[in-house]
Amino acid sequence: MIEFGLNLIINRVTQSNPVNYFGSKGVNFVVLPEFPKDYLSSCKSFLSKVAKSFLRVLPELIGADIITTEKAEEIKRYFGDKKDRSQSRLIVIFSILGALLIGLGIILIIAHNWDELSRSTKAAFAFLPLVIGQSIGVYVLLKKADSTGWREAAAAFLFCTVGASISLISQIYNIPGNLSTFLLTWMVLCLPTVYLLRSAIASMLIIAGITYYACETSYWARNDRPSWEYWVVVALLIPHYYSLYRKNLKSNFFILLSWLIPLSITICLGTLSDHKEEFMFIAYFSWFGLSCISGDLLFSERKGIIGNAYTTIGSIGTVALLLALSFEWFWNDLSKLEMSVLPSDLMVAALISLATIGLLMWKIKYKTMKSVQFTEIIFLIFIVIFAIGFSSSVIPILAINMLVLILGLRIIWEGARKNHLGMLNYGLLIVTALIVCRFFDADISFIARGVMFVLVGAGFFAGNFLLLKKRRSHEK
Amino acid sequence: MKNKSVLLGLFILVAVAQIYVPASMIMEREDVLKKGKLWKFKTRPIDPNDPMRGKYITLAYENNVYKIPGDSTFFSGQEVFVVLKEDENGYSTIDKVEIDRPPADAEYVKAEIWYVNYYEDTARISIRYPFDRFYMEEYKAPEAERLYNEFSRDSTTVTYAVVKIKDGEAVLEDVVVDGVSIAEIILKEE
Repeated sequence: MIEFGLNLIINRVTQSNPVNYFGSKGVNFVVLPEFPKDYLSSCKSFLSKVAKSFLRVLPELIGADIITTEKAEEIKRYFGDKKDRSQSRLIVIFSILGALLIGLGIILIIAHNWDELSRSTKAAFAFLPLVIGQSIGVYVLLKKADSTGWREAAAAFLFCTVGASISLISQIYNIPGNLSTFLLTWMVLCLPTVYLLRSAIASMLIIAGITYYACETSYWARNDRPSWEYWVVVALLIPHYYSLYRKNLKSNFFILLSWLIPLSITICLGTLSDHKEEFMFIAYFSWFGLSCISGDLLFSERKGIIGNAYTTIGSIGTVALLLALSFEWFWNDLSKLEMSVLPSDLMVAALISLATIGLLMWKIKYKTMKSVQFTEIIFLIFIVIFAIGFSSSVIPILAINMLVLILGLRIIWEGARKNHLGMLNYGLLIVTALIVCRFFDADISFIARGVMFVLVGAGFFAGNFLLLKKRRSHEK
Repeated sequence: MKNKSVLLGLFILVAVAQIYVPASMIMEREDVLKKGKLWKFKTRPIDPNDPMRGKYITLAYENNVYKIPGDSTFFSGQEVFVVLKEDENGYSTIDKVEIDRPPADAEYVKAEIWYVNYYEDTARISIRYPFDRFYMEEYKAPEAERLYNEFSRDSTTVTYAVVKIKDGEAVLEDVVVDGVSIAEIILKEE
């Protein structure tokens, strides 16, 4: 068995493509066909022990001319790297958490607003965390520029302290202040640290903060106005996002940012509306189409829900909008819409739609027409339905309901074809959601509604049962 | 090495900007406190249903309504300039409300229109002054808010806010009950 283990390790290091190996942590190993699956974990821990003993006998193997010194170094580096990688990931996470907690702790202590201290002393203390954060930043730039943990922790701490010093001064001088201005100032002052300290956590905190700013300015304020500053800040973060994409597509920071950016844009796209919200539905459909196409182009290798945020958000967003518009309220309003001037909402919708069409054409040119998914062209179909909606409210309602049904059935069919349970159930869920929505329409009889529910329920059973049966027959 | 110095230089520049923003806030407020004119704004109790919002007293003011006959172009949330005058007891009242900044020699404060309502052909414009929070030490604020409401309701005591104003900018300095600072009253109660 030990000989088997040693052979595996030498194989792994000396051959770039072993026949079949599993495991991302610890030791990689070849799985022989006759090994049962539950044997893998015990085998893995056993091989880890073998690897340790193997490292101990390396000098002996060199002495006996079995392997060269270079190969021995390569083996040591291989095992060392694996250990270092998982350790450094933990260090980064705990450094960030530690920095955020210490930062918040110091802020809370000062926010107690000690009455015993004079106004000027309190004001001086408000600067203390900021200066400490900046000093740590300088130290990191000079001595620890290569350590991700140090850079991220310093940036997270500095982010907290910048916001804290401004709000503490507001508190000391009884300034109720304006939340929008405060958030914007805070985010803009922290934006350069994303690049100077090469910090992903700072970029995430800034996206969260600037999203809050856009909502505060454009949705919740008494005098709401478009928050163009939001788009500038997001645009300024794109080079950082792109550099993460180039360097490490699989890093957790990149995956998290890939969720935060489209989510934030989905929330803030509505801030561009200028009170003719109907047109924003075109903008949203196009944005979700753009998101689906971007997901396919940027992360074509990643198929998971978590791994490909753009496709997940685009698909769920499209389905949610279609379901919302499958009711008659929207179309009744649209057919009564009066326009004296060209609304800016229409311009926004046109711009986003044109950008999506451009990207779609680019995709067709560089991939194939066949690579285009159904969800990626729904925005085009919606534009046509929307145009019809000005003269009739019946045709669009029917068309949208048909569209949801076709989309759901297509996903079910794709899931069955690809042997993908998740996809199959997602399709079934879409059809169920459509039926639930129609449940609220009073003009459909109880019998018809009942039959629809029974059919979809049976569909769930049949779909899953057939797919599992197919899988089992494949395994045999 | 060169790259490092450039990064360090830029970082220091950013650090200076990060310090400058709160520092300029302090300088502006200190300037108002030193050179501004002192005004006394008579307060009234806040809505008792308004929940405790933290470590500050929420203040409401008595003379915060400006009436104009007929329709008004004012709207809620609008930034305006309130020209002030003193009444016979030395408390501030509204002389007029203007959209454009008054001349430098006028006594005015920058504020916001809270809401506009109409009653018998008169537009009643309610002003929200930018000094409606008085921060106190964490544990003292709830007690101070209770006392503030009690004194404001009591017709035998006079409660007012001491505010310094310069060029339209205001800084709330203290909340006073019958000539005694509310912080001192809390200390005595303890």
